[in-house]
Amino acid sequence: MNPAIRLTNLTKRFKLLTEKHGSLKAALLSFKHTPSRDLLALDNISLAIDHGETVAIIGRNGSGKSTMLRIIGRVYKPTSGAVEVDGRMSTMLDLGAGFHPELTGRENIFFNGAVMGLSMAQLRSKVDSIIDFSELADFIDSPVKSYSAGMLMRLGFAVAVETDPDILLIDEVLAVGDAAFQDKCYQRIESFKAEGKTIVFVTHDLEAARLVASRAVWLDKGIIRADGDTISLTEDYLAHRV
Amino acid sequence: MIEELKELARYKDLIRQLVIRDLKVRYKNSVLGFFWSLANPLIQVATIWLVVKYILRLEMPNYSAYLLVGYLPWVYFQMALLDSSQVVLTHRDLLKKVYFPREVLPISVVLANLVHFLLALVILFAYLMFYRLFLHGAPIMMSALWLPALILLETLLITGITFFVSCLNVFYQDTKYLLSALLSVMFYLTPVMYVAELVYVRIPEAHRRLLYHIYLANPLNMLTDAYRKTLLPPFTAQAMRGMKISSLPLDYAMLGVAALVCLLVAVVGYKFFNSRKWVFAEHI
Repeated sequence: MNPAIRLTNLTKRFKLLTEKHGSLKAALLSFKHTPSRDLLALDNISLAIDHGETVAIIGRNGSGKSTMLRIIGRVYKPTSGAVEVDGRMSTMLDLGAGFHPELTGRENIFFNGAVMGLSMAQLRSKVDSIIDFSELADFIDSPVKSYSAGMLMRLGFAVAVETDPDILLIDEVLAVGDAAFQDKCYQRIESFKAEGKTIVFVTHDLEAARLVASRAVWLDKGIIRADGDTISLTEDYLAHRV
Repeated sequence: MIEELKELARYKDLIRQLVIRDLKVRYKNSVLGFFWSLANPLIQVATIWLVVKYILRLEMPNYSAYLLVGYLPWVYFQMALLDSSQVVLTHRDLLKKVYFPREVLPISVVLANLVHFLLALVILFAYLMFYRLFLHGAPIMMSALWLPALILLETLLITGITFFVSCLNVFYQDTKYLLSALLSVMFYLTPVMYVAELVYVRIPEAHRRLLYHIYLANPLNMLTDAYRKTLLPPFTAQAMRGMKISSLPLDYAMLGVAALVCLLVAVVGYKFFNSRKWVFAEHI
């Protein structure tokens, strides 16, 4: 069987944007040629994640975690190398990204779902379970500008998980929300795993990584420094940090 | 390109959501709501009409009808382009997080403005009916059946240009300033305030046919002229500032040329946009 996600010799290089970028004048004057600096965000990474695995991506700021998640999520194109994904992906959008403040929670559920490629018909059949999971039934017809950060996160998580993806990508957002709802999220993630679905999440919260993921990948300056069992890997990571 | 169109078709519900959201949000906290999108062009038309009729004293029967029919398609063109220049930037959070065909953004801007245009056309038809009933001035003619084709062509043209505008503005934010400067020039160069026949008689007779054809090869000129000729009867020949001006028939051959240009702009614009759309997330 194909793995859920396979990265092969993946490299991502960014041109560092300088102040001069983004104006016509700069483009016209660029025959003066200020050499643009490159940033090697991911350096020849290969990684396979099987169906049913839950993998935590850890590493310091700027280590390439989010870049890797975005390449898996097809937001960035790799500079070289291949990405293969088997199954429907869903991304948990962080606070505000997928929501319009003037629209109600319900309207935003439809918008958010459509962004992830679901049809209106599919969403109509799922909207009740999304509202149910988010525990926002009383506020669902108010504009989301009146929501707290925790409420937004609940709505975002509810849309991401209740739209029944095969692969769930989460970028550092589970931290908000009260303890009770966090528990509920972790429970949902457990049932997700039980259904044989794949989760990749980026986090700085090593506790969360240990709780949820059996496998962890440690990224350091664009390369995979370690890949293995979460418990021992996070201990190494902590030991190395001090 | 076929693959990309197929993928786009899978996201048609997202386009619909974006259009609905645009229409809902735009007037969410205003009392008169949708009325504003109609009021603005009407106020503009009324002002131009007053100036032309009473200050410039240009005598043309039913000028207000000719002006309105030219002005509404112009507003559609102008507003869609201006809105599209910012559309990628305003969705930066989304672009940085999720995959979706990026072209849904400019397309939804065009369609939201199309909805405004269609509503404005309802007002226009009411106005033309009023003329017919009370003044016997400008009846609605059978040739109005051409209208859907003209709207389709203009929409293709606008979509093609918005592909360029929305994409270029990601890399050069000068685009939106350049665009609004160009639009204010184009407003006077396009036969909106005046009829295309006025341009025709001003061209020296020796080169008239050729130059006028080149003029009509600009699809915006041709379409503005075609909206008028299909919705309004030919104006009566008259002397205007020492020149005898008479209505010309609709040039179907040049309409065909303009249609090809519209299609070409749409296809080239789409290719241009597609070749750059996956680096937007890195640039915003």
